[in-house]
Parts: sequence; structure tokens; C-alpha cells
Amino acid sequence: MNDNTIIQIEDLHKWFGMLHVLRGISFSVVPREVVVIIGRSGSGKSTLLRCLNFLEEPSAGKIIVAGHGVLTGPGIKPDRQRILDLRLSTGMVFQEFNLFPHMTVLENVIEGLISVKKMAKDQAVPMGEKYLEKVGLREKRDVHPIRLSGGQKQRVAIARTLAMEPKVLLFDEPTSALDPELIGEVLDVMKALAYEGATMLVVTHEMGFARDVSDRIIYIDRGEIIEDGLPEQIFNQPKDERTRTFLEPLRKVQHL
Amino acid sequence: MAVNTIQPPGPAWTDPDIDMGHKLMAFERRARLIHALQVLVVWIVIVILLLFTLALLDFDPAYVLKHYSFVLQGMWVTIGVSLASIFFASILALMGALGRLSHNPVAQGISGFYVSLIRGTPLLIQIYIIYLGLPQIGGRLTALGYPQLGGLFILNELQAGILALSLNYGAYMTEIFRAGIQSISFGQSEAAAAIGMSSWQTMKRVILPQAVRVIIPDIGNQFIAMQKDSALVSIMGVWETTFRANRLARQESKFIEMLLLAALLYWLLTIVSSWLEGRLERRLAHAYER
Repeated sequence: MNDNTIIQIEDLHKWFGMLHVLRGISFSVVPREVVVIIGRSGSGKSTLLRCLNFLEEPSAGKIIVAGHGVLTGPGIKPDRQRILDLRLSTGMVFQEFNLFPHMTVLENVIEGLISVKKMAKDQAVPMGEKYLEKVGLREKRDVHPIRLSGGQKQRVAIARTLAMEPKVLLFDEPTSALDPELIGEVLDVMKALAYEGATMLVVTHEMGFARDVSDRIIYIDRGEIIEDGLPEQIFNQPKDERTRTFLEPLRKVQHL
Repeated sequence: MAVNTIQPPGPAWTDPDIDMGHKLMAFERRARLIHALQVLVVWIVIVILLLFTLALLDFDPAYVLKHYSFVLQGMWVTIGVSLASIFFASILALMGALGRLSHNPVAQGISGFYVSLIRGTPLLIQIYIIYLGLPQIGGRLTALGYPQLGGLFILNELQAGILALSLNYGAYMTEIFRAGIQSISFGQSEAAAAIGMSSWQTMKRVILPQAVRVIIPDIGNQFIAMQKDSALVSIMGVWETTFRANRLARQESKFIEMLLLAALLYWLLTIVSSWLEGRLERRLAHAYER
């Protein structure tokens, strides 16, 4: 644990009723690092990501993102303002895009700037256009999301997240709801962000992306970190038997 | 950054079998038209049978023709009372729904009590309590030396009627508003939370604008129901359709004539309202597709 960490998680637990979904997760991330979290469905990887910005309230543990720390545990009621601060330093991209259907593409992107950052509209619009340009959708600024393909929707969702200029980007299975031919355009945007030096935490089943783009891979099983290492090491010499049995069938399908 | 988007097939292409499509469409249209005509014939037969029955009953159309404009004027009162009541009921319902969905125990308690009480008692009793009970409270307060406070409880029949209908419909519509708000996918709130919006901002900017689109057709239906329930305020002496029809009916014991006239007027009003509501609904259905 050096002082340079941007995300620090200590002994994080999440219970859903009597179901123990996260069992004492601890790890840290340094700026500009791209960390991919892999694991079976139901292993708790999405829950971990959602706990990071308090979309799920962790049952216990400590989360620090870019200097904003929140402590939770039985009987501790986390401070609302600290949660809002923590959310402002993280940005999240969802599997189902979750664009606001009643707003145009540009309005989606600048909504946070206007209602959260209290920016004037004539200031927010150029920023919105800048980030739409970045995901290659500036010409779609005035259409409603219903007119977009899945890949375009996800790129707008990424622009909406980027516009808030978060310190850390969280991706929760960003390509899992897309038709196969549309996955590439979203992964391209994510790769470009990674090369520009964004700090990213990505939950995905795209092992090609994990191998090519990530700096580090974390394998989670039943709410525990089983392995945490470099992509080559995880793919070529997994230390744990569970990692091997998880990756083996994927290797054939995804040409690793 | 190079990002490529797959383009859909262009408009230049036409289907060589397009004629078959046209023929199938024409066939379907014809079948639908024939069906609609058959239904219409059934309606006409029912109306003829009703008119025949009326003729047997010694119905006096001249009395209806002579007095219909007096009753018709009551329609404006009916429409006015309904419009005012649906307006206030919607405000109550919005507050009620936000209260029921909030995590604040006071807001939850007040709105839950309101909905439970109003839905658990007859509208007619509520009307009596507001029209006859409230002045009693007002009188007591005045006697105790608070004439201004007491004055608030003494309402004229129009105010009392609108208050009763608003309170009653507000409770039922609370559930409609709540369902409308809950119908918006949870992902919307999550996306708003993820960009740092507070729960109030999320409600105002993301959830309500979408929920209104779901709720408006239901408000339309409630408005149509309200037009008919507003007949109940005739017992307070509001000069609306039912009150006027009833008055003339008693004058010369022409009950069938005047009550059927009132019924017909309400019916026409709901037909027009349903048509308007249907148009509104179709327009809302395309709201995001421009």
C-alpha cells in the first residue's frame, strides 16, 4: 500500500439477507492502472463494482477513492455527503446503458454538468460535444437514444460518464448486452481511454480485452479474490486450480 | 479516435414481391372493416330496441326538448368541477406518491394514513362530512373565539364539492402515481446516482418526466370517471347536470325523461373525453421518437 493509490478497499463485505456475497475483499489500484475483474456469474464481481460507488451499500469495510473515504459496518450509518463526493470521483458504465430516454444524446451527456456541477448551459454544451466527439458520435447530438444502436448507446453512456471527469472509471460488463457485431466499437473506445491513461476497473467476459489492454487481472470466486496478477501470468500460469478451470473453456471460444 | 458504426441497409432497395405485401394488407383491411360494420349493426339494433321500449312507456319527448338547454348548462358546471378536482387531485396524488415512496417516516405515515382512510370510506360519506361536518367545526371554533379560523371551515357548495372530489380522487390517484414512478426502471435511478445526482434531482429530472408519460393516460381515465362521480355533489346543491335534471324531473314527475337526458349527456361527454384521451395517449406514445 503506497501513498500513490487512487482506490483502496479494505476488508469489504456484502450481505444480501443471509447470503454472504463479498467475503473480505481488499485491494488497491494506482492511477492510470487498468484492472480487469473476471469470474463466474454470481461470483460477486458486479456487486464489488457497485459497492465501490455505493449503488449497493457495503455491509462492512472501508472504501477510499481519490481521497474520499467511507467506512461502513454493522451499526455505522455512512454519511450521505461523503457518498456523493465518492460518487463524483467515480464514473460508471452499465451493462444496460441506462441512458435517459426522454433526453437527447447531448442532454444525456450534459445532465450531470448542469444539475450536479451547476454549470451554465452554454459552458456545458461545448464540453458535451467534446466528449461526444471523443466517442465518435457528435453528429448524433440531437437525436433521442431510441434512434441509436446498442453500441452507439453504450458509447453515449461512456461520454456521459467522461463528461463528469471522474478520477476512476468503472465498467460493469459494458459489452454483455450488445450484439456481437457491435462489441468492437465499444471496446475500441475503452482501449483508447486506457491508452490515454484513464484509471479503469472493468468487469468483463471479453478475455481478449483483458489480455491485451489490462495491466492487472483479478479473479474472483464466491466473493473472494483468488488471484491477482499480470495478464500473462493469469492466462499462462494460473497459480490456483479454480482460475485454470474457469479460463480453460473460455480459451477455446475466445481464441486466447 | 477511429470509431466505426454499422449502417443499416439504405432506402434505395425495394422488395420485388412488394405487390404481395399490398394485397395482403388490403385483404386484412377489408376483414377489419367488415367486422367493424357488424359491430355497428348490433349497436343500432340495441338503440332501436331501447327507443321502441321508450315509446311503449309513454315517453314525452316534448318535455325533453323544452328543457334540455337548462340541463345542458349544468354540463359546464360538471366539466368545471371535474377539471378543478382532477387538477387538485393530481397535486395531492403527486405528494402522496412521493410520501409513500420516501424513506422519511413522517411523510410515509401521513400519506399512508390518507390513502388508507379515504379508500376505506364511501365517497358519499366523505361528501356529507365535508358539507355538513366541516361547518359544525367552523361554528365551534367561532364560538370558542376564533372566527377567522372558523371561517376557513365554512365552504360554499362548490368549494365543498371540489374539495370532496379532490381528496377522494387524490387518494386513488396516489396509487396510480406511485405505480407510474415505480414503473421507471431502477437502472435510471442508478445511472443518475452514478453521475452524482441527489435523490431529489433524480426524481425531478429523470424519473418524473418519464413517469408522467406513463401516468397521463391514467389521469385521463380518472377524469372520465370523475365526470360521472361529480353527479354526487348534486346532493350539496351544486347546480350541475344531475341537480338540474332532478329538479325538472320532480316539477312534473317526468323522471324517465329528465334522468335519461342527463344520462345521455354524461355519456356523450365521456365519449368525447375518451376520444381526446386516446389522441393524447397516441401522441405520448411517440414522444421520444422524433
